[in-house]
Amino acid sequence: MTGTVDWSILWTGTTGRSLVDALILTCEISFISWILAMALGLLIGVLRESPWRMARVFSAAYVEVFRNIPLLVQLFFIYFLFPRILPRPVANVLFDLGWEIVAAVITLSLYSSAKIAEHVRSGYNTIGQKLRQAAASSGLSWWQVQRHVMLGLLLRTIAPSLTSEFVTIFKGSSLAMVVGVMETTYVTRQIGTETFQWLPTNVYATTVYLVCAWMIAGVMLVIEKKIHVAGRIGS
Amino acid sequence: MDAFPHLFLALLQYNLTLTLGAVAIALPISCFCAVARLSSIKLIAYPMRAYVNVLRSLPLVLVMFWIYMVLPIINGISVSAFWSALVALALFEIAYFTEIVRSGIQSVSVNQWSAGVASGLSRYQALRHIIIPQALRRMTPALLMQTLIAFQDSTISSIIGVPEILHVTTITNAREQDPVTLYILLAVTFFVLCYLASQSVNSLERRYRQKLGY
Repeated sequence: MTGTVDWSILWTGTTGRSLVDALILTCEISFISWILAMALGLLIGVLRESPWRMARVFSAAYVEVFRNIPLLVQLFFIYFLFPRILPRPVANVLFDLGWEIVAAVITLSLYSSAKIAEHVRSGYNTIGQKLRQAAASSGLSWWQVQRHVMLGLLLRTIAPSLTSEFVTIFKGSSLAMVVGVMETTYVTRQIGTETFQWLPTNVYATTVYLVCAWMIAGVMLVIEKKIHVAGRIGS
Repeated sequence: MDAFPHLFLALLQYNLTLTLGAVAIALPISCFCAVARLSSIKLIAYPMRAYVNVLRSLPLVLVMFWIYMVLPIINGISVSAFWSALVALALFEIAYFTEIVRSGIQSVSVNQWSAGVASGLSRYQALRHIIIPQALRRMTPALLMQTLIAFQDSTISSIIGVPEILHVTTITNAREQDPVTLYILLAVTFFVLCYLASQSVNSLERRYRQKLGY
């Protein structure tokens, strides 16, 4: 053992303070990205089943692009290239807002929305064609069928996948450290480098990710039970 | 564009090596882990379940930190960035592979077990000669897909300083200040490789499905 291990850095002084801030930032980034990813993922997934060829092609291409490029590469890509295609004033507003955080949220949302879109597609397969055909033959438009008949069933069917996507986003938010977002892993490394207290900081970060993953799973289990409809497959 | 051979070399030398190395280590171990995970002896099954759950809840970069930064502090063993990344990736993939192999084993009908044991095979023989060969074919597409994810995850080793493709791109960008070309090149390289690979895995899966009819 080289040097002494000082556990108190986890709760005292500026280091303790920045670890708390980092945890809050990790949670904020993950939660916002998850909400955005669900909205986008549902939209893209529903478009995949639409009667319009262009929409189906777009949705398929979207999924393939975001699935086949590593998250870290996407983050760099968006971080460096996005401000360049925007008009200067808009880009400046983004920089003032803290572009690295916005870039991380955009990247995580896009990446996960592609995976959620795939879950939506398999949700459609699980529910099957008959219900949609019945709804359509009762005079509902395509959009009404999706909105009033399919949406609720889809969300129930893919609820477990949405949970695991949330955990994946939570883990993925650690990669935002590379563009300088001061989330949990970033601060862990920062304190480790400055004080050489790698053991306490790593134990802290590990605990944070484990406890949060289990909490997400626990909360989602309660929600899944609450929205459960007896007798539905996959619900 | 001059940077491309450079980048591609880094991809082969580090990303591909890391991926294949990690898979080569993780695959045999995870077969044992999956059987252990299904064991009726709780003392064996529970630690395996805990391992899988813990590793799947952690970001890969944190596992790399444990090996690269914390291990030398605890016991003085200093591991190079490359080997840290390789071991971390292997530990990580063991958890994911174990789950895939486990569900592969469970997907084989329990009647196959009974039939094997009824014809006089021991439990081990039934596992070895009846269950594993069928399970292996069913889980091959999932294992290949996970390997593809490991390949994408190998870019994370850049954070601890492994000179793999993303790392080389960042350094080249610092020198040439040309992020547009470089990052498009990087993204396109990964897209082309992973897209072709995942399409081949999909067609393999379709062929298996037709042949085996499940």
